[in-house]
Amino acid sequence: MAEFSLPANSKVRKDGRVFKAPDGATHVRVFKIYRFDPDSAENPRLDTYEIDMDQCGPMVLDALIKIKNEIDPTLTFRRSCREGICGSCAMNIDGRNGLACISACADIKGEVRIYPLPHMPVIKDLVADLTDFYAQYASIKPWLQTRTPAPPDSERLQSKSEQEKLDRPSACILCACCSTSCPSYWWNSDRYLGPAALLAAYRWIVDSRDEATGERLDQLEDPFRLYRCHTIMNCTEACPKDLNPARAIGELKQMMAHRRY
Amino acid sequence: MDESPRVGMRSPLGRVTGLGSAKDGTGHWWAQRLSALALVPLASWLLISILTLPNLGYAAVHDWLSRPLEGFLAALCTGTLTYHSYLGTTVVVEDYVHGRAAKLLSLIGLKFMHVLVGGAGIFAILRLTMGTLVS
Repeated sequence: MAEFSLPANSKVRKDGRVFKAPDGATHVRVFKIYRFDPDSAENPRLDTYEIDMDQCGPMVLDALIKIKNEIDPTLTFRRSCREGICGSCAMNIDGRNGLACISACADIKGEVRIYPLPHMPVIKDLVADLTDFYAQYASIKPWLQTRTPAPPDSERLQSKSEQEKLDRPSACILCACCSTSCPSYWWNSDRYLGPAALLAAYRWIVDSRDEATGERLDQLEDPFRLYRCHTIMNCTEACPKDLNPARAIGELKQMMAHRRY
Repeated sequence: MDESPRVGMRSPLGRVTGLGSAKDGTGHWWAQRLSALALVPLASWLLISILTLPNLGYAAVHDWLSRPLEGFLAALCTGTLTYHSYLGTTVVVEDYVHGRAAKLLSLIGLKFMHVLVGGAGIFAILRLTMGTLVS
């Protein structure tokens, strides 16, 4: 059966370590952060960090970097661009998947609770194992496939409206916020491709230059790969780039019906 | 999958592509929507009919279902409803039941149960309708 509670060795202990704010701090926010160390035999735990926000940048990532630099260097998380374009710092913040670098602490009420992306294997602390997520992306062949040779003296041309069809879908940064917010992906991530990979597939299917549309649809036409989507639409809700994977999946299903009937 | 997909040395891409596409699913998706569409008028008719019956006693129901059009619509509604229910519950099993044996048994059980319930329902209605016509 699907697992509705965490396995015994994944249950989160609430009695984690507590790091108090320095004396004299006036603007203190409490951060509760999921910690898991694969080298210890211990269960994951929630550590508490009190941070003086007057000495910290405004974003959740600023707080994480401050913790790592000044309070607890053992805290592990991914980050790179700090401006919402690399997708590295995707995590579950205050119960929602998002990018730490573009999530403002001020938008969160009370304690700031930070967990890794839901229902993924955890490598350490806030770092989820995205191996299969990336493999699913690779499986949809995210590159242009053609039989017509490219014009010898120019690039393959598209009209403005043709380009606009893939303008938004190609803005996906593969942060995995959408797929890991999807219950269908939680229960069947070994067979359901998930919204991120399906949005990527859609991006190549609607590309006017691509000549493998039929083969791409063939690969998706499967009770699990595509049709595990039950239009829950958490994906669209979670996307930090305001993309709409749910609509793309809906259009894929329409194309499936269209080519059959 | 019975065994953890991460056991073994298969590459992530090999693991993810698995047994390949079943080239199926669209028929199920279409049938689910079509049966839902058919149920809008059928289920509305059934609900209104039941609510406007003088009472729910055997004689009133017998009188209602022994009329040809009513009997036909009730049988049609029973069939469509059972079919729609079969499609929907199948998806639930595929979603949540993961052991290979448990999944297979659940899917077989669901199919048999729906054929049984739908068949019995339609037979009961036809018996009322036809029985009256013959006698």
